[in-house]
Amino acid sequence: MFGLSLIAVLICGVVFYFSARGKARSLAGENYAALHSRPNYHGFLAFLVSTLVGVAVLVVVWVAWGSFIESRFVTHITDAQPDLSPIEVELVINDARALSEGGIASKTDALRTQIASEMRGQTALHHYGTMVLALIAAVFGGLWCLKNGALGWRARNRSETIVRRLLALMAVIAVATTAGIILSLIFETLNFFNNIGWQVHKFLFGTTWSPLSGVHDGKLDADKVGAIPLFAGTLLITVIAMLVATPIGLFAAIYLSDFASARVRAWAKPMLEILAGIPTVVYGFFAAITLAPFLRNTGESIGLSIASESALAAGIVMGIMIIPFISSLSDDVINAVPQSLRDGSYGLGATKAETIRQVVLPAALPGIVSAVLLGISRAVGETMIVVMAAGQGANLTANPLEAVTTVTVQIVMLITGDTEASTAAGPAFTLGFTLFCVTLLMNVVAQRIVRKYRELYD
Amino acid sequence: MLDNLKTERVMAEEDIKISAKGVDVFYADTHAIKDVDVDIQNRAVTAFIGPSGCGKSTFLRCLNRMNDTIDICRITGDIHLDGNDIYAKDVDPVQLRARVGMVFQKPNPFPKSIYDNVAYGPKIHGLAKNKVELDEIVEKSLRRAAIWDEVKDRLEAPGTGLSGGQQQRLCIGRAIATAPEVLLMDEPCSALDPIATAQVEELIDELRQTFTVVIVTHSMQQAARVSQKTAFFHLGNLVEYGDTDKIFTNPVDPRTESYITGRIG
Repeated sequence: MFGLSLIAVLICGVVFYFSARGKARSLAGENYAALHSRPNYHGFLAFLVSTLVGVAVLVVVWVAWGSFIESRFVTHITDAQPDLSPIEVELVINDARALSEGGIASKTDALRTQIASEMRGQTALHHYGTMVLALIAAVFGGLWCLKNGALGWRARNRSETIVRRLLALMAVIAVATTAGIILSLIFETLNFFNNIGWQVHKFLFGTTWSPLSGVHDGKLDADKVGAIPLFAGTLLITVIAMLVATPIGLFAAIYLSDFASARVRAWAKPMLEILAGIPTVVYGFFAAITLAPFLRNTGESIGLSIASESALAAGIVMGIMIIPFISSLSDDVINAVPQSLRDGSYGLGATKAETIRQVVLPAALPGIVSAVLLGISRAVGETMIVVMAAGQGANLTANPLEAVTTVTVQIVMLITGDTEASTAAGPAFTLGFTLFCVTLLMNVVAQRIVRKYRELYD
Repeated sequence: MLDNLKTERVMAEEDIKISAKGVDVFYADTHAIKDVDVDIQNRAVTAFIGPSGCGKSTFLRCLNRMNDTIDICRITGDIHLDGNDIYAKDVDPVQLRARVGMVFQKPNPFPKSIYDNVAYGPKIHGLAKNKVELDEIVEKSLRRAAIWDEVKDRLEAPGTGLSGGQQQRLCIGRAIATAPEVLLMDEPCSALDPIATAQVEELIDELRQTFTVVIVTHSMQQAARVSQKTAFFHLGNLVEYGDTDKIFTNPVDPRTESYITGRIG
C-alpha cells in the first residue's frame, strides 16, 4: 500500500512535469530566448517539488498515523486487561494484526478478535487516508510551480538548488552512517572495558581467551579476555599470506608491465582480476576441503603432523586471494613510472633487468609498499577463509602447522553463538574496534605514501 | 677553391664516425623515414633540423637502436659505426648504447641522489674498480657537464630536486660518465630557459673535443650556433646535408631555403 501511494505520487509528479513544460512552451511561443529557463527545467522543477512534497507528506503521515493507531490499541488493551506486561501487549497487537490480515495468531480470544476487527477498518482508513493526503500535497506542490511559471521564473536555478541539496543529503547520510558505526563501536568498547573493571591491559596483553566461560551475572572475567592469542594468530596468518602474495603478486606485475607482450597482457590481466572476483567463501572451502587435507597428507608422508585446520592452509589460500590486489596495484604504479626514466637507463646501455631493478622498482617502491599495506589490511580483516580453515581454539603458538584463531573468527563465534547477545557483544565489539583501528591505520599510511609518490611524478 | 673542396672531401672520408645508407623506418604502416643517407663526422657537432614530425628524432634514435624498445617500429638499411653494422645479428644493443650515449628532450634524472645518477652507468658497465675511481669518474663527468661547482656540496641530494637546466646538465654528465664515443641529443634544450640553454650550448661546443655529437633541434639559431654540419629533414626525407655555414647561407634545395627563412615549418 505504501508502495502504491509512492507510485501514485510519482505519476502525479510526471503529470506536472509535462504540464509545467507545456505551460512554459506556450508562454514563450516562438521566442524561446524570452524564457529565463528552458521549458524542460520548468517541468523538472514542477516534478521535483510535487514529488518531494508528496513523498515527505506520505512518510510523515504514514508513520505518525500508524503510531497513533497503535497507541490507541495499547490503551484499549491495558484498559481491558490492566495486568499485561508491555511485551504481552505487543504480542496481543501482533496477533490481532495477523488475524485482521487472515494470518495465523498464537492465540485467538475475544479481545484479539475485537481488536482485529477494529484494526481492519482503522488500517484501511490509515492507508487510503495517507494516500489521499500525499496526493493532495503533491498536487498543491505542482500547482504552486504551475502558478509561478512565468517567463522570468528561475526554474533552472531552483531545480539545481534542490538537486544540490538532495546530493548533500545523500553525502550526509553516508558520512553519518560511518560516524554512527564508529561511535557505536567506541561506546560498546567502553562498555566492555567497564564490564571488566577497566583492566584494559588484561584485554590487550592477556594470554587466555575464553570470554564466555567466566560470566557471572553478565560480568566477564577479566582474566579470560586476553586477546594476545587472537592477535598472534591473526599476525601469523597475515605473515604467511603476505609471504605468498607479495612475491607472486609483485613478480607477476613486473612481468605483465615490462615483459609481457600486449597480447599476453590483454588476457592475463583480466584473468588476475577474475581471481579478485571469487567470493571469499569459495576460497574458504577451497582451503578447508582441498588444501588442508592435502597439506595434512603430505605432512604425514614426510613425518610432519599438520593439524587439519592449520594456519598454513588458511594463510596460503588467503595469500592467493590477495595476489590480484598486489599485482594489480603494483602493475599500475610500475606503469606510472615514466617511460623517459626507462629510456634514460636504456640510453646509458643498461639492460632490461638492470633498468627494472635499479630504476623502475626504486621509483615505484612507495606505490608497491602501499599495495602491500593494503594487502595486509585485507588479510587482517578477512573472515570467511579463516573461519573455515584456521580453527576456533584460542591457541597461542608460532607454529604454522597448528590450528590458530584470529580476531575475525572470534567475532563470528561470539555473535553466532547461543550466548545472550548482551554479554557476547562486548568482547565482539571491542575486537571489532581493535581491528578497525589497525586497518584504518594501515590504510592511512598507505594513502599517505601513495600521495607522496604522486607528487613526485606529476 | 677546388683545392679546398678536395681537402675537405678527403678529410670527411677519412673521419666518418657513423655512416647511414638507405635507411627506412616504419611505424606500423607509417613510413617515417624514407631512404636516408648520412655520414656523420667524427668529433664534430652534427645538427638535425626540420619541422615537427619530419622524422629527425626517429632517425636519431636509430643510431643507438633506441627504437628497438618500440614494438611496432621496423628499420631497414645500413647504419655503420666505425665501419661495423650496428644492426648486425651479433651486436648487442646494450653494448652499442654504452658507446653511443643519449640525452633526451625532457631532463629525466633517476629518482636517486645526484651522485648515484652519475655513478649508475659506470657501475653497470664496471668502469670503476673501487669507490675512489668511481668518485673520480663522477667528479670528472660533472665537471665536464659544467655542473660540478653547483652540486659538489650536495651530491647526496636527489637529482630530481635540481632546476630544469641543472637536471639536463646532470643528464649530460650521466651520459658522459659511461665514456661513450658518440653523444646523441634529442632536443636537449627544448625544456630549458634561455640562460640554461646558453650553458648547455656552451657545453656542447666543449664536448666536441672528445665526442661525436649529434643533436636534434627545432631551433635553427641553435643549429647555426653549435653545429659544424647540418642535415635538414622534411616529411621523412633528408632534403639537404652539408656544412652548417653553407646550409644557412646558400642552401641548394628550395625547401631548405623556405624552412630557414621561415616560410614552412
